[in-house]
Amino acid sequence: MTPLSSTDYDAIRLSLQVSVAATLLSLPLGFAVAYLITFVRFRGKIVLEVLVNLPLTLPPVVVGYFLLLLLGKHGWLGSLLNEAGFRIIFTLKAAVIASAVVGFPLLVRSLRIGMETIDPQLINASRTLGARWYDTLLTVILPLSGPGLIAGSSLMFARSLGEFGATIIVAGNIPGVTQTIPLAIYEYASSPTSEKMALSLCLVSVVISVIVLFVHELMARKTARRD
Amino acid sequence: MKCLSKIIIHLFCLVALATSALADNINLSVAASLKEVINELSDSFAKKNSGVKFLKNYGASGALAKQIESGAPSDIFITANLEWMDYAKNKKLVDTSSVGTFTYNTLVFAGAPGKAASMQDLVKLDTIAIGSPKSVPAGEYAMEAFKKAGIDKQLEKKLVYAKDVRECLMYAERGEVDGAFVYKTDALLAKQAKILFTVPKELYPRVTYPMALTVAGAKNRDAAAFFTYLHGDEAKTLLSKFGFAVR
Repeated sequence: MTPLSSTDYDAIRLSLQVSVAATLLSLPLGFAVAYLITFVRFRGKIVLEVLVNLPLTLPPVVVGYFLLLLLGKHGWLGSLLNEAGFRIIFTLKAAVIASAVVGFPLLVRSLRIGMETIDPQLINASRTLGARWYDTLLTVILPLSGPGLIAGSSLMFARSLGEFGATIIVAGNIPGVTQTIPLAIYEYASSPTSEKMALSLCLVSVVISVIVLFVHELMARKTARRD
Repeated sequence: MKCLSKIIIHLFCLVALATSALADNINLSVAASLKEVINELSDSFAKKNSGVKFLKNYGASGALAKQIESGAPSDIFITANLEWMDYAKNKKLVDTSSVGTFTYNTLVFAGAPGKAASMQDLVKLDTIAIGSPKSVPAGEYAMEAFKKAGIDKQLEKKLVYAKDVRECLMYAERGEVDGAFVYKTDALLAKQAKILFTVPKELYPRVTYPMALTVAGAKNRDAAAFFTYLHGDEAKTLLSKFGFAVR
Protein backbone atom coordinates (compact mmCIF):
# COMPACT_ATOMS: atom_id res chain seq x y z
CA MET A 1 0.00 0.00 0.00
CA THR A 2 1.51 3.32 -1.06
CA PRO A 3 0.85 6.51 0.93
CA LEU A 4 -1.55 9.05 -0.59
CA SER A 5 0.00 11.76 -2.77
CA SER A 6 -1.04 15.40 -2.73
CA THR A 7 -3.23 14.95 -5.83
CA ASP A 8 -4.95 12.09 -3.98
CA TYR A 9 -5.79 14.43 -1.11
CA ASP A 10 -7.05 16.93 -3.68
CA ALA A 11 -9.23 14.23 -5.19
CA ILE A 12 -10.69 13.33 -1.79
CA ARG A 13 -11.39 16.99 -1.00
CA LEU A 14 -12.96 17.58 -4.42
CA SER A 15 -15.10 14.46 -4.11
CA LEU A 16 -16.47 15.59 -0.76
CA GLN A 17 -17.04 19.12 -2.08
CA VAL A 18 -18.90 17.86 -5.13
CA SER A 19 -21.04 15.43 -3.12
CA VAL A 20 -21.99 17.96 -0.45
CA ALA A 21 -22.79 20.68 -3.00
CA ALA A 22 -24.78 18.35 -5.26
CA THR A 23 -26.83 17.01 -2.33
CA LEU A 24 -27.55 20.40 -0.75
CA LEU A 25 -28.50 21.96 -4.08
CA SER A 26 -30.86 19.11 -4.90
CA LEU A 27 -32.62 19.01 -1.53
CA PRO A 28 -35.17 21.85 -2.02
CA LEU A 29 -36.11 20.75 -5.54
CA GLY A 30 -36.12 17.09 -4.52
CA PHE A 31 -38.41 17.86 -1.61
CA ALA A 32 -40.78 19.81 -3.85
CA VAL A 33 -40.93 17.03 -6.44
CA ALA A 34 -41.47 14.33 -3.81
CA TYR A 35 -44.27 16.44 -2.25
CA LEU A 36 -45.93 16.90 -5.66
CA ILE A 37 -45.80 13.20 -6.47
CA THR A 38 -46.96 12.06 -3.02
CA PHE A 39 -49.66 14.57 -2.04
CA VAL A 40 -50.82 16.50 -5.08
CA ARG A 41 -53.14 15.08 -7.73
CA PHE A 42 -52.56 16.44 -11.21
CA ARG A 43 -52.67 15.33 -14.83
CA GLY A 44 -49.49 13.93 -16.30
CA LYS A 45 -48.02 12.91 -12.95
CA ILE A 46 -46.65 9.77 -14.56
CA VAL A 47 -44.66 11.91 -17.01
CA LEU A 48 -43.03 13.72 -14.12
CA GLU A 49 -42.25 10.41 -12.42
CA VAL A 50 -40.64 8.99 -15.56
CA LEU A 51 -38.61 12.15 -16.12
CA VAL A 52 -37.38 12.20 -12.52
CA ASN A 53 -36.35 8.54 -12.65
CA LEU A 54 -34.77 8.70 -16.10
CA PRO A 55 -31.18 9.37 -14.92
CA LEU A 56 -31.44 6.23 -12.79
CA THR A 57 -31.67 3.99 -15.83
CA LEU A 58 -29.88 6.04 -18.49
CA PRO A 59 -26.18 5.27 -18.84
CA PRO A 60 -24.31 8.10 -17.05
CA VAL A 61 -22.35 8.66 -20.26
CA VAL A 62 -25.60 9.62 -21.96
CA VAL A 63 -26.43 12.05 -19.14
CA GLY A 64 -22.93 13.51 -19.50
CA TYR A 65 -23.27 13.89 -23.22
CA PHE A 66 -26.67 15.61 -22.91
CA LEU A 67 -25.20 17.96 -20.32
CA LEU A 68 -22.35 18.73 -22.69
CA LEU A 69 -24.85 19.54 -25.44
CA LEU A 70 -26.78 21.75 -23.03
CA LEU A 71 -23.98 23.48 -21.14
CA GLY A 72 -21.19 23.45 -23.73
CA LYS A 73 -19.88 26.63 -25.31
CA HIS A 74 -22.34 26.21 -28.16
CA GLY A 75 -25.12 24.58 -26.16
CA TRP A 76 -28.35 26.55 -25.85
CA LEU A 77 -27.86 27.31 -22.18
CA GLY A 78 -24.06 27.28 -22.29
CA SER A 79 -23.87 29.86 -25.07
CA LEU A 80 -25.99 32.31 -23.03
CA LEU A 81 -23.82 31.77 -19.95
CA ASN A 82 -20.71 32.06 -22.07
CA GLU A 83 -21.75 35.52 -23.25
CA ALA A 84 -22.20 36.51 -19.63
CA GLY A 85 -18.60 35.37 -19.10
CA PHE A 86 -19.58 32.31 -17.10
CA ARG A 87 -18.05 28.96 -17.98
CA ILE A 88 -19.45 25.74 -16.57
CA ILE A 89 -17.86 22.87 -18.45
CA PHE A 90 -14.38 21.73 -17.34
CA THR A 91 -14.96 23.32 -13.92
CA LEU A 92 -16.05 21.90 -10.57
CA LYS A 93 -19.54 23.33 -11.24
CA ALA A 94 -19.93 20.86 -14.08
CA ALA A 95 -19.00 17.99 -11.78
CA VAL A 96 -21.58 19.19 -9.24
CA ILE A 97 -24.31 19.42 -11.87
CA ALA A 98 -23.47 15.97 -13.25
CA SER A 99 -23.64 14.43 -9.76
CA ALA A 100 -26.85 16.30 -8.96
CA VAL A 101 -28.62 15.02 -12.07
CA VAL A 102 -27.49 11.43 -11.64
CA GLY A 103 -28.25 11.32 -7.90
CA PHE A 104 -31.57 13.19 -7.99
CA PRO A 105 -33.85 10.14 -8.51
CA LEU A 106 -32.37 8.41 -5.47
CA LEU A 107 -33.10 11.46 -3.32
CA VAL A 108 -36.69 11.74 -4.55
CA ARG A 109 -37.31 8.03 -4.01
CA SER A 110 -36.22 8.07 -0.37
CA LEU A 111 -38.16 11.27 0.29
CA ARG A 112 -41.30 9.73 -1.19
CA ILE A 113 -40.99 6.59 0.89
CA GLY A 114 -40.63 8.81 3.94
CA MET A 115 -43.65 10.93 3.02
CA GLU A 116 -45.84 7.92 2.25
CA THR A 117 -45.37 6.66 5.79
CA ILE A 118 -46.79 9.88 7.28
CA ASP A 119 -50.21 9.11 8.81
CA PRO A 120 -52.79 10.81 6.52
CA GLN A 121 -54.98 11.44 9.57
CA LEU A 122 -52.37 13.84 10.90
CA ILE A 123 -52.49 15.76 7.66
CA ASN A 124 -56.30 15.75 7.57
CA ALA A 125 -56.46 16.84 11.19
CA SER A 126 -54.22 19.83 10.54
CA ARG A 127 -56.34 20.82 7.54
CA THR A 128 -59.64 20.53 9.46
CA LEU A 129 -58.13 22.64 12.20
CA GLY A 130 -57.75 25.39 9.65
CA ALA A 131 -54.15 25.06 8.47
CA ARG A 132 -53.40 26.20 4.92
CA TRP A 133 -51.56 23.73 2.65
CA TYR A 134 -48.26 25.46 3.29
CA ASP A 135 -48.85 25.39 7.05
CA THR A 136 -49.40 21.65 6.85
CA LEU A 137 -46.33 21.32 4.67
CA LEU A 138 -44.05 23.24 7.04
CA THR A 139 -45.39 22.08 10.42
CA VAL A 140 -46.50 18.50 9.74
CA ILE A 141 -44.94 17.06 6.61
CA LEU A 142 -41.49 18.64 6.82
CA PRO A 143 -40.76 17.62 10.43
CA LEU A 144 -42.05 14.09 9.83
CA SER A 145 -39.93 13.77 6.67
CA GLY A 146 -36.72 14.07 8.69
CA PRO A 147 -35.59 10.46 8.45
CA GLY A 148 -36.52 10.33 4.75
CA LEU A 149 -34.54 13.49 4.17
CA ILE A 150 -31.46 12.08 5.83
CA ALA A 151 -31.83 8.67 4.16
CA GLY A 152 -32.27 10.31 0.77
CA SER A 153 -29.42 12.77 1.15
CA SER A 154 -27.05 10.09 2.38
CA LEU A 155 -27.90 7.86 -0.58
CA MET A 156 -27.47 10.71 -2.99
CA PHE A 157 -24.23 11.73 -1.31
CA ALA A 158 -22.90 8.19 -1.73
CA ARG A 159 -23.94 8.08 -5.38
CA SER A 160 -22.25 11.44 -5.99
CA LEU A 161 -19.02 10.11 -4.52
CA GLY A 162 -19.03 7.40 -7.16
CA GLU A 163 -20.10 9.51 -10.14
CA PHE A 164 -17.80 8.84 -13.07
CA GLY A 165 -19.43 8.53 -16.49
CA ALA A 166 -21.17 11.89 -16.70
CA THR A 167 -18.44 13.75 -14.83
CA ILE A 168 -15.55 12.72 -17.07
CA ILE A 169 -17.39 14.10 -20.10
CA VAL A 170 -18.54 17.50 -18.81
CA ALA A 171 -15.79 18.19 -16.29
CA GLY A 172 -12.78 16.48 -17.83
CA ASN A 173 -10.15 14.83 -15.64
CA ILE A 174 -8.03 17.75 -14.42
CA PRO A 175 -5.99 16.99 -11.25
CA GLY A 176 -6.65 19.53 -8.50
CA VAL A 177 -9.56 21.08 -10.41
CA THR A 178 -12.12 18.45 -11.41
CA GLN A 179 -10.41 15.16 -10.62
CA THR A 180 -12.56 13.37 -8.04
CA ILE A 181 -11.73 10.00 -6.47
CA PRO A 182 -13.19 7.78 -9.23
CA LEU A 183 -11.46 9.81 -11.95
CA ALA A 184 -8.14 9.61 -10.12
CA ILE A 185 -8.51 5.84 -9.73
CA TYR A 186 -9.33 5.53 -13.43
CA GLU A 187 -6.19 7.44 -14.33
CA TYR A 188 -4.03 5.29 -12.06
CA ALA A 189 -5.52 2.02 -13.22
CA SER A 190 -4.94 2.75 -16.89
CA SER A 191 -1.23 3.32 -16.56
CA PRO A 192 1.30 0.46 -16.37
CA THR A 193 3.48 2.11 -13.73
CA SER A 194 1.01 3.48 -11.20
CA GLU A 195 -1.49 0.64 -10.94
CA LYS A 196 -0.63 0.03 -7.30
CA MET A 197 -1.24 3.66 -6.40
CA ALA A 198 -4.90 3.11 -7.20
CA LEU A 199 -5.31 0.72 -4.27
CA SER A 200 -4.92 3.28 -1.46
CA LEU A 201 -7.48 5.52 -3.10
CA CYS A 202 -9.84 2.55 -3.60
CA LEU A 203 -9.59 1.90 0.12
CA VAL A 204 -10.45 5.52 0.95
CA SER A 205 -13.42 5.28 -1.36
CA VAL A 206 -14.62 2.07 0.30
CA VAL A 207 -14.30 3.56 3.81
CA ILE A 208 -16.30 6.70 2.96
CA SER A 209 -18.99 4.71 1.18
CA VAL A 210 -19.36 2.25 4.07
CA ILE A 211 -19.77 5.09 6.59
CA VAL A 212 -22.35 6.89 4.46
CA LEU A 213 -24.31 3.71 3.76
CA PHE A 214 -24.34 2.91 7.50
CA VAL A 215 -25.99 6.25 8.15
CA HIS A 216 -28.42 5.57 5.34
CA GLU A 217 -29.43 2.13 6.66
CA LEU A 218 -29.89 3.44 10.20
CA MET A 219 -32.20 6.17 8.91
CA ALA A 220 -34.10 3.81 6.63
CA ARG A 221 -34.75 1.54 9.65
CA LYS A 222 -35.98 4.44 11.67
CA THR A 223 -38.45 5.26 8.91
CA ALA A 224 -39.62 1.66 8.68
CA ARG A 225 -40.08 1.28 12.43
CA ARG A 226 -42.51 4.17 12.62
CA ASP A 227 -45.36 2.38 10.91
CA MET B 1 -11.06 -4.62 -7.03
CA LYS B 2 -8.50 -6.68 -8.89
CA CYS B 3 -10.27 -9.86 -7.91
CA LEU B 4 -13.59 -8.56 -9.17
CA SER B 5 -12.19 -7.42 -12.47
CA LYS B 6 -10.56 -10.83 -12.86
CA ILE B 7 -13.87 -12.56 -12.32
CA ILE B 8 -15.51 -10.29 -14.86
CA ILE B 9 -12.76 -10.87 -17.37
CA HIS B 10 -13.00 -14.62 -16.82
CA LEU B 11 -16.74 -14.53 -17.39
CA PHE B 12 -16.15 -12.53 -20.53
CA CYS B 13 -13.61 -15.07 -21.71
CA LEU B 14 -15.99 -17.93 -21.03
CA VAL B 15 -18.55 -16.29 -23.27
CA ALA B 16 -15.92 -15.64 -25.89
CA LEU B 17 -14.62 -19.21 -25.68
CA ALA B 18 -18.07 -20.70 -25.95
CA THR B 19 -18.58 -18.97 -29.27
CA SER B 20 -15.11 -19.41 -30.69
CA ALA B 21 -13.76 -22.74 -29.45
CA LEU B 22 -14.97 -24.65 -32.50
CA ALA B 23 -13.47 -22.79 -35.42
CA ASP B 24 -9.81 -21.93 -35.82
CA ASN B 25 -10.13 -18.18 -35.48
CA ILE B 26 -7.60 -15.38 -35.36
CA ASN B 27 -8.09 -13.34 -32.20
CA LEU B 28 -6.82 -9.80 -32.45
CA SER B 29 -6.18 -7.47 -29.52
CA VAL B 30 -5.57 -4.11 -31.11
CA ALA B 31 -5.21 -0.53 -29.87
CA ALA B 32 -8.37 1.44 -30.62
CA SER B 33 -6.65 4.00 -32.84
CA LEU B 34 -5.93 1.25 -35.40
CA LYS B 35 -9.54 0.14 -35.71
CA GLU B 36 -10.29 1.42 -39.22
CA VAL B 37 -7.07 0.23 -40.82
CA ILE B 38 -7.10 -3.23 -39.17
CA ASN B 39 -10.72 -3.72 -40.21
CA GLU B 40 -9.75 -3.20 -43.86
CA LEU B 41 -6.63 -5.32 -43.61
CA SER B 42 -8.41 -8.26 -41.99
CA ASP B 43 -11.24 -8.07 -44.54
CA SER B 44 -8.87 -8.23 -47.48
CA PHE B 45 -6.88 -11.06 -45.83
CA ALA B 46 -10.07 -13.02 -45.18
CA LYS B 47 -11.06 -12.63 -48.84
CA LYS B 48 -7.79 -14.19 -50.02
CA ASN B 49 -7.77 -16.96 -47.43
CA SER B 50 -11.22 -18.46 -47.24
CA GLY B 51 -12.10 -20.15 -43.97
CA VAL B 52 -10.18 -17.68 -41.85
CA LYS B 53 -12.31 -15.85 -39.32
CA PHE B 54 -11.31 -12.85 -37.27
CA LEU B 55 -12.42 -11.96 -33.76
CA LYS B 56 -11.41 -8.38 -33.22
CA ASN B 57 -11.07 -6.74 -29.84
CA TYR B 58 -10.31 -3.01 -29.90
CA GLY B 59 -9.53 -1.09 -26.74
CA ALA B 60 -7.02 0.88 -24.72
CA SER B 61 -3.58 -0.76 -24.82
CA GLY B 62 -3.57 -1.21 -21.04
CA ALA B 63 -6.98 -2.85 -20.90
CA LEU B 64 -5.97 -5.26 -23.67
CA ALA B 65 -2.73 -6.18 -21.89
CA LYS B 66 -4.66 -6.93 -18.69
CA GLN B 67 -7.20 -9.05 -20.59
CA ILE B 68 -4.47 -11.16 -22.19
CA GLU B 69 -2.80 -11.50 -18.80
CA SER B 70 -6.06 -12.83 -17.39
CA GLY B 71 -6.34 -15.41 -20.15
CA ALA B 72 -8.45 -13.72 -22.81
CA PRO B 73 -8.03 -15.48 -26.18
CA SER B 74 -5.60 -13.46 -28.25
CA ASP B 75 -3.19 -14.32 -31.04
CA ILE B 76 -1.90 -10.94 -32.14
CA PHE B 77 -1.35 -7.98 -29.84
CA ILE B 78 -0.79 -4.46 -31.21
CA THR B 79 -0.40 -1.57 -28.77
CA ALA B 80 -0.17 2.19 -29.17
CA ASN B 81 2.99 2.55 -27.09
CA LEU B 82 6.11 0.65 -26.12
CA GLU B 83 5.35 0.61 -22.40
CA TRP B 84 2.46 -1.82 -22.59
CA MET B 85 4.37 -4.10 -24.96
CA ASP B 86 7.23 -4.15 -22.45
CA TYR B 87 4.68 -5.01 -19.78
CA ALA B 88 3.44 -7.92 -21.90
CA LYS B 89 7.03 -9.04 -22.54
CA ASN B 90 7.86 -8.96 -18.83
CA LYS B 91 4.79 -11.01 -18.00
CA LYS B 92 5.75 -13.47 -20.78
CA LEU B 93 2.43 -12.97 -22.56
CA VAL B 94 3.96 -12.53 -26.01
CA ASP B 95 6.44 -14.50 -28.10
CA THR B 96 9.48 -12.25 -27.61
CA SER B 97 11.11 -13.18 -30.92
CA SER B 98 8.10 -11.89 -32.86
CA VAL B 99 7.99 -8.41 -31.32
CA GLY B 100 8.37 -5.79 -34.07
CA THR B 101 7.07 -2.44 -35.21
CA PHE B 102 3.76 -2.24 -37.03
CA THR B 103 3.66 1.46 -37.80
CA TYR B 104 4.24 5.01 -36.56
CA ASN B 105 1.98 7.96 -35.89
CA THR B 106 2.44 11.73 -35.65
CA LEU B 107 1.21 14.19 -33.03
CA VAL B 108 -0.75 17.13 -34.40
CA PHE B 109 -2.75 20.07 -33.04
CA ALA B 110 -6.31 20.10 -34.35
CA GLY B 111 -8.98 22.76 -33.99
CA ALA B 112 -10.98 25.42 -35.77
CA PRO B 113 -8.99 26.93 -38.67
CA GLY B 114 -6.92 30.01 -37.81
CA LYS B 115 -6.60 29.42 -34.06
CA ALA B 116 -2.89 28.63 -34.07
CA ALA B 117 -0.10 27.88 -36.50
CA SER B 118 2.77 26.86 -34.23
CA MET B 119 3.61 25.78 -30.68
CA GLN B 120 4.32 29.40 -29.72
CA ASP B 121 0.79 30.45 -30.71
CA LEU B 122 -0.67 28.14 -28.05
CA VAL B 123 -0.07 30.65 -25.23
CA LYS B 124 -2.65 32.94 -26.82
CA LEU B 125 -5.43 30.33 -26.60
CA ASP B 126 -7.87 29.83 -23.70
CA THR B 127 -8.40 26.08 -23.52
CA ILE B 128 -6.43 23.19 -24.97
CA ALA B 129 -7.42 19.54 -24.64
CA ILE B 130 -4.85 16.80 -24.14
CA GLY B 131 -5.14 13.22 -22.91
CA SER B 132 -4.44 12.70 -19.17
CA PRO B 133 -0.64 12.54 -19.28
CA LYS B 134 -0.41 9.72 -16.75
CA SER B 135 -2.63 7.33 -18.65
CA VAL B 136 -2.84 8.54 -22.26
CA PRO B 137 0.44 8.36 -24.24
CA ALA B 138 -0.62 11.19 -26.60
CA GLY B 139 -1.11 13.43 -23.55
CA GLU B 140 2.28 12.46 -22.19
CA TYR B 141 3.91 13.35 -25.52
CA ALA B 142 2.08 16.68 -25.65
CA MET B 143 3.35 17.55 -22.14
CA GLU B 144 6.89 16.65 -23.20
CA ALA B 145 6.58 18.88 -26.25
CA PHE B 146 5.36 21.81 -24.04
CA LYS B 147 8.38 21.40 -21.78
CA LYS B 148 10.84 21.23 -24.64
CA ALA B 149 9.24 24.27 -26.27
CA GLY B 150 9.47 26.07 -22.91
CA ILE B 151 5.76 26.91 -22.72
CA ASP B 152 4.62 24.39 -20.08
CA LYS B 153 4.27 26.99 -17.32
CA GLN B 154 2.17 29.34 -19.45
CA LEU B 155 -0.15 26.55 -20.56
CA GLU B 156 -0.69 24.97 -17.14
CA LYS B 157 -4.04 26.67 -16.49
CA LYS B 158 -5.33 26.26 -20.02
CA LEU B 159 -5.17 22.48 -20.22
CA VAL B 160 -8.23 20.25 -20.13
CA TYR B 161 -7.40 16.59 -19.49
CA ALA B 162 -9.53 14.06 -21.35
CA LYS B 163 -9.74 10.33 -20.84
CA ASP B 164 -8.50 9.43 -24.30
CA VAL B 165 -7.51 10.88 -27.66
CA ARG B 166 -10.97 10.50 -29.15
CA GLU B 167 -12.51 12.50 -26.29
CA CYS B 168 -9.95 15.28 -26.94
CA LEU B 169 -10.97 15.28 -30.57
CA MET B 170 -14.67 15.38 -29.63
CA TYR B 171 -14.08 18.51 -27.53
CA ALA B 172 -12.24 20.17 -30.42
CA GLU B 173 -14.87 19.04 -32.91
CA ARG B 174 -17.66 20.59 -30.81
CA GLY B 175 -15.67 23.77 -30.24
CA GLU B 176 -15.60 23.30 -26.45
CA VAL B 177 -11.85 23.88 -26.55
CA ASP B 178 -9.73 25.96 -28.90
CA GLY B 179 -7.85 22.89 -30.01
CA ALA B 180 -6.62 19.46 -29.03
CA PHE B 181 -3.45 17.41 -29.27
CA VAL B 182 -4.33 14.22 -31.11
CA TYR B 183 -2.77 11.78 -33.54
CA LYS B 184 -2.75 12.74 -37.20
CA THR B 185 -4.81 9.64 -38.07
CA ASP B 186 -7.56 10.68 -35.62
CA ALA B 187 -7.55 14.27 -36.82
CA LEU B 188 -8.05 13.09 -40.41
CA LEU B 189 -11.35 11.49 -39.31
CA ALA B 190 -12.67 14.78 -37.88
CA LYS B 191 -15.20 16.86 -39.77
CA GLN B 192 -15.10 20.32 -38.14
CA ALA B 193 -11.63 20.32 -36.58
CA LYS B 194 -8.71 20.68 -38.96
CA ILE B 195 -5.03 19.94 -38.50
CA LEU B 196 -3.55 23.34 -37.59
CA PHE B 197 0.06 22.23 -37.28
CA THR B 198 2.19 19.15 -36.82
CA VAL B 199 4.18 19.04 -33.61
CA PRO B 200 7.91 19.28 -34.55
CA LYS B 201 9.30 15.78 -34.20
CA GLU B 202 12.31 16.80 -32.11
CA LEU B 203 9.92 17.80 -29.27
CA TYR B 204 8.59 14.32 -28.42
CA PRO B 205 9.57 10.67 -28.77
CA ARG B 206 8.39 8.83 -31.84
CA VAL B 207 4.88 7.38 -31.57
CA THR B 208 5.44 3.70 -32.23
CA TYR B 209 2.91 0.88 -32.52
CA PRO B 210 4.69 -2.36 -31.62
CA MET B 211 3.07 -5.69 -32.47
CA ALA B 212 3.69 -9.27 -31.43
CA LEU B 213 2.30 -12.77 -31.62
CA THR B 214 1.09 -13.93 -28.24
CA VAL B 215 2.27 -17.23 -26.83
CA ALA B 216 -0.91 -18.88 -28.13
CA GLY B 217 -0.72 -16.99 -31.43
CA ALA B 218 2.75 -18.37 -32.18
CA LYS B 219 1.16 -21.83 -32.39
CA ASN B 220 -1.77 -20.69 -34.58
CA ARG B 221 -0.74 -21.05 -38.24
CA ASP B 222 -3.40 -18.67 -39.58
CA ALA B 223 -2.43 -16.04 -37.05
CA ALA B 224 1.23 -16.33 -38.03
CA ALA B 225 0.28 -15.94 -41.72
CA PHE B 226 -1.74 -12.80 -40.95
CA PHE B 227 1.14 -11.50 -38.84
CA THR B 228 3.45 -11.80 -41.87
CA TYR B 229 0.80 -10.10 -44.00
CA LEU B 230 0.75 -7.16 -41.57
CA HIS B 231 4.49 -6.70 -42.19
CA GLY B 232 3.98 -6.76 -45.96
CA ASP B 233 3.70 -4.08 -48.65
CA GLU B 234 -0.07 -4.20 -48.93
CA ALA B 235 -0.41 -3.32 -45.25
CA LYS B 236 2.10 -0.48 -45.65
CA THR B 237 0.18 1.02 -48.57
CA LEU B 238 -3.07 0.97 -46.62
CA LEU B 239 -1.43 2.39 -43.50
CA SER B 240 -0.11 5.39 -45.37
CA LYS B 241 -3.53 5.89 -46.93
CA PHE B 242 -4.93 6.30 -43.40
CA GLY B 243 -2.18 8.76 -42.45
CA PHE B 244 0.20 6.51 -40.55
CA ALA B 245 3.94 6.82 -41.12
CA VAL B 246 5.36 3.47 -42.17
CA ARG B 247 9.00 4.27 -41.68
